[in-house]
Amino acid sequence: MKRNWRKLVAAVSAGMVMTGMLAGCGSEKPAVGESSSVDGNSDDGNGSKKEVTLWHYFFDEEGKAIERVVELYNNSQDKIHITSTYISRDELMNQYTIGAVSGELPDIGMVDSPDMASYISLGVFEDIDDELQEWGELDKFYEGPLNSCRDSEGRLHGIPNNSNCLALVCNMDLLNAAGFDEPPTTWDEFREVARACTDPGNSVYGYAMCAIGNEEGTFQYIPWLYASGADVTTLDSPEAVKSMEFLGDLVSDGYMSKEVINWTQADALNAFAAGKAAMLESGTWHIALLDSDSMNVDFNYKYALLPKGEQNASVIGGENFGVCAGSEAKEECIDFLKFMMQPQNNADWCEIGGKLPVRSDAMELKDFWTEDERYAVFSETMNFAVARGPHESWPTISEAIYNAEQSVLLGEKSAADAMKEAASVVDPILKEVPIAE
Amino acid sequence: MKNKLSMASKKRLEGYGFIMPGFLYILLILGYPLVYNVILSFKDTNVKNFAKGTSTFIGVENYVKLFQDPTFQLVLKNTIVFTLACLVVQFTVGFLFAIFFSQKFTLSGPIRGLILVGYMMPMSVTAMIGKNIFGVSEGVINDLLLKIGFIHEPIEWLVNGGTALIAVIAVNCWVGIPFNMLLLTSGLTGISEDVYESASLDGANKVQRFFYITLPLMKSSILAVLMLGFIYTFKAFDLMFIMTSGGPLNATDVLGTYAYTLSFTKYEFSQGSAAAIVLFCCLFVVGLFYLRLISKEDD
Amino acid sequence: MEKAMTRLNTKAGRKNLLNCILALVIATAFLFPIYWLISMSFKTDVESFGKIVTYYPHEFTVDPWIMNFSDPDFLKSLKNSGVIALLAMTVSICFGVPTAYGMGRYKVPGGKGFLLSFLVSQMLPASLMLTPMYLIFGKIGLLGTYLGPAIAIASGSIPFIVITLRPYFKGIPVSLDDAARIDGCGVIRSFFSIMIPAIKTGIITVVVISFLNGWNDLVYSMTFNVKPEMRPLTANIYKFQNKYGTKWNCIMAYGAILVLPVVLLFVFLQKYIVGGLTAGAVKE
Repeated sequence: MKRNWRKLVAAVSAGMVMTGMLAGCGSEKPAVGESSSVDGNSDDGNGSKKEVTLWHYFFDEEGKAIERVVELYNNSQDKIHITSTYISRDELMNQYTIGAVSGELPDIGMVDSPDMASYISLGVFEDIDDELQEWGELDKFYEGPLNSCRDSEGRLHGIPNNSNCLALVCNMDLLNAAGFDEPPTTWDEFREVARACTDPGNSVYGYAMCAIGNEEGTFQYIPWLYASGADVTTLDSPEAVKSMEFLGDLVSDGYMSKEVINWTQADALNAFAAGKAAMLESGTWHIALLDSDSMNVDFNYKYALLPKGEQNASVIGGENFGVCAGSEAKEECIDFLKFMMQPQNNADWCEIGGKLPVRSDAMELKDFWTEDERYAVFSETMNFAVARGPHESWPTISEAIYNAEQSVLLGEKSAADAMKEAASVVDPILKEVPIAE
Repeated sequence: MKNKLSMASKKRLEGYGFIMPGFLYILLILGYPLVYNVILSFKDTNVKNFAKGTSTFIGVENYVKLFQDPTFQLVLKNTIVFTLACLVVQFTVGFLFAIFFSQKFTLSGPIRGLILVGYMMPMSVTAMIGKNIFGVSEGVINDLLLKIGFIHEPIEWLVNGGTALIAVIAVNCWVGIPFNMLLLTSGLTGISEDVYESASLDGANKVQRFFYITLPLMKSSILAVLMLGFIYTFKAFDLMFIMTSGGPLNATDVLGTYAYTLSFTKYEFSQGSAAAIVLFCCLFVVGLFYLRLISKEDD
Repeated sequence: MEKAMTRLNTKAGRKNLLNCILALVIATAFLFPIYWLISMSFKTDVESFGKIVTYYPHEFTVDPWIMNFSDPDFLKSLKNSGVIALLAMTVSICFGVPTAYGMGRYKVPGGKGFLLSFLVSQMLPASLMLTPMYLIFGKIGLLGTYLGPAIAIASGSIPFIVITLRPYFKGIPVSLDDAARIDGCGVIRSFFSIMIPAIKTGIITVVVISFLNGWNDLVYSMTFNVKPEMRPLTANIYKFQNKYGTKWNCIMAYGAILVLPVVLLFVFLQKYIVGGLTAGAVKE
């Protein structure tokens, strides 16, 4: 017993010594790295280039693509050297929030478009309106995505990088078997198809979407809200209530699984790809995923516009890039953003990521956005897709919306009550600061 | 007389010498964050006025707003239910396990060791396992229950509020039981065998020995375990954040996740700090209670 | 063990057998999630998405493990995790154990206040500590180092150590102090060579737990250290939750890889730990 104890003490103290040594070697390097990113004047192999950091959450192929753009830029000039770093989306948002307080931010940052307004308001992104106006190419950008980079006075704090929107995708094998040759085009047809394709015996549902309790859930509900003729300023209107009732009925009638309240868009896509749902509210980026080997789709599917209510509707998503407050290389960073957003670079990038370009002249560079009939649906949808916000309190607005949706889908509240409650949260916010036009 | 006094003050100095490094460490690293949050909780800092720097002191308004908010009331209730349920289950079962495995039998050592693996797992992984096994149609728990005929329809575990809370409690107990077992085992083996031997000579049976010898002797370990368990459970965060994100509809939202959402998702910094301070105050009251209990034993 | 076998027919032997059976039942129920984790980590993508629940991998594959190991940064993150954990453990033990000793064995004015402040320090939710801690660490240059996360992690472990070890130190008979004094032991020597060994079970426990706190940390290491080359193994969880959905099999393999070194360490230390844990019962 006693001997064992001694050995243990010896082992632990050896461990401590080793830690000391490892930590010794470990903490030296970062100290150098840090000073280089802070003063921006490092010369570790890059001559006199300023060190610039870029944070993004592009993963996999998209991540490689963004790194290629960065490398192209690094080789094209000798003022700055950009290092791009992947940080998961959640972590990145926390870093911005903490960075708003501490001032420790990257030079260039990426952000999901509906979150941009909040970060602008928190002072995370520099006002780069003058520089971008000088550039003279802003008129080539689509208004929707560009708007999400504006502050309440309409000044730009960043530049959109890509767009996406939502459409309907149908498992045509299931639709055909139920006697339908084409995807539904109206809400009534949609409901009919969902009913006919539902097969509880094989646990197949007519429709799947994402109604999770976060921004994704709101994103997927917005098209239904706007298709009914309502919008976020009229959440308790009869039209808005009707749209929520419509979705709630899908669940209570058994055409849609209650589990959608826990599904991310990826989960919903997986359910569709596994043949468990006949129709799915699907994003532009899903096409690339459906094409990939890992999805293993063994049925015919077809994209169509989301069914038309009072009007056609969809929602815009996408990412923006901005120059963060306190960057010592603001001019150079803006120069990089312009480079990244050159038509060819934008088109190449969006092709890899399966997204839509944000400038019309980039859209014209590749024909698959119009030739591939799946992308063509999305290109057409962009004509009437709406943006979320921009509004600095969008996260609070969004929470009111997805909470209302969840309580209706779970059958805890009537659509009228739920939407009234949502409006009681959202209306005062929008009354104080209306959504920027 | 004089000699005695200096002895006492020398001892006191020794005591401070041992205590101070740790105390100063905690004071330096955690004192500021506490003050920071307290101050913030009395201001009205949020996304609108943060960068403009126009936030002002508004007194207790944040707290009033919190307690009037039905969601906060639900969150408070969830936190209390979650904490009490976990504490009762993990302490009782952990104690039973500690006693059971402190007997000398062939497998006691290895199996006690294996059970601890649950506690060694990062909470993020545990929460992912929980999310997976409590799935409705893909979850193994439903599958098992259906197979043994315990239920006939799958339970919508994480879809409905009540069952979701049960699921997170179950997963938390899976981690908490080994934790309690580990700490209580060490306390249990600290009791000298002589005490038991003299007691059995006096004719005390097992149950009597447990209540009259084991429990009193372990009182301070038990109180420490309960206090720590209470703190860790009451401020739970990772488990809900990953397994349910506090949903569905705030059914598993607890003070830890609620405060985080306010500060980091809705940028209501002051409100978030106020929620954190409420959490703090609840724990503080329990902490005072703990001190009272142990000071009886100390004096 | 041999004794147990020969006494199988005696009362004690039957009790041994019954206890073992009960222990096995407990283990089965308790270890099922672990089994599930391991079984899942050998399933294919399709099987792990689980249209049908399978209790063992019907189509056995090691791809999820390879996915984890083939990460070019794998060894680096392994090292990072080790460094952060050992560093956090060292800091926690060096500050925590002496403090616990001082509070357990010395009556000092304000003793209760100290104890309360250690308790209090654990009462704020970690997420809201991040911003103010970040501000401090930025001031003293700890951002982007291993020491930053280690210090933050230790700020949780130290109070834990103080609160759990204090009763142990308190329980050491005063006679041991006197004996040390008579032997001419100084305060420091008596602390290291008498007091610490006297509560070795407790010490082992807190060493293991403070190591685990560091090994399993995700939030502090990610927040105070955005450099990819300094991230610990735990950060990889984000790689398997993305636009493709949740890669259950990869996540499970990731979990197994994280917990494996800890279990190995535990098995290696088992004879000390179990020996220590039963020391009270086995009188030598």
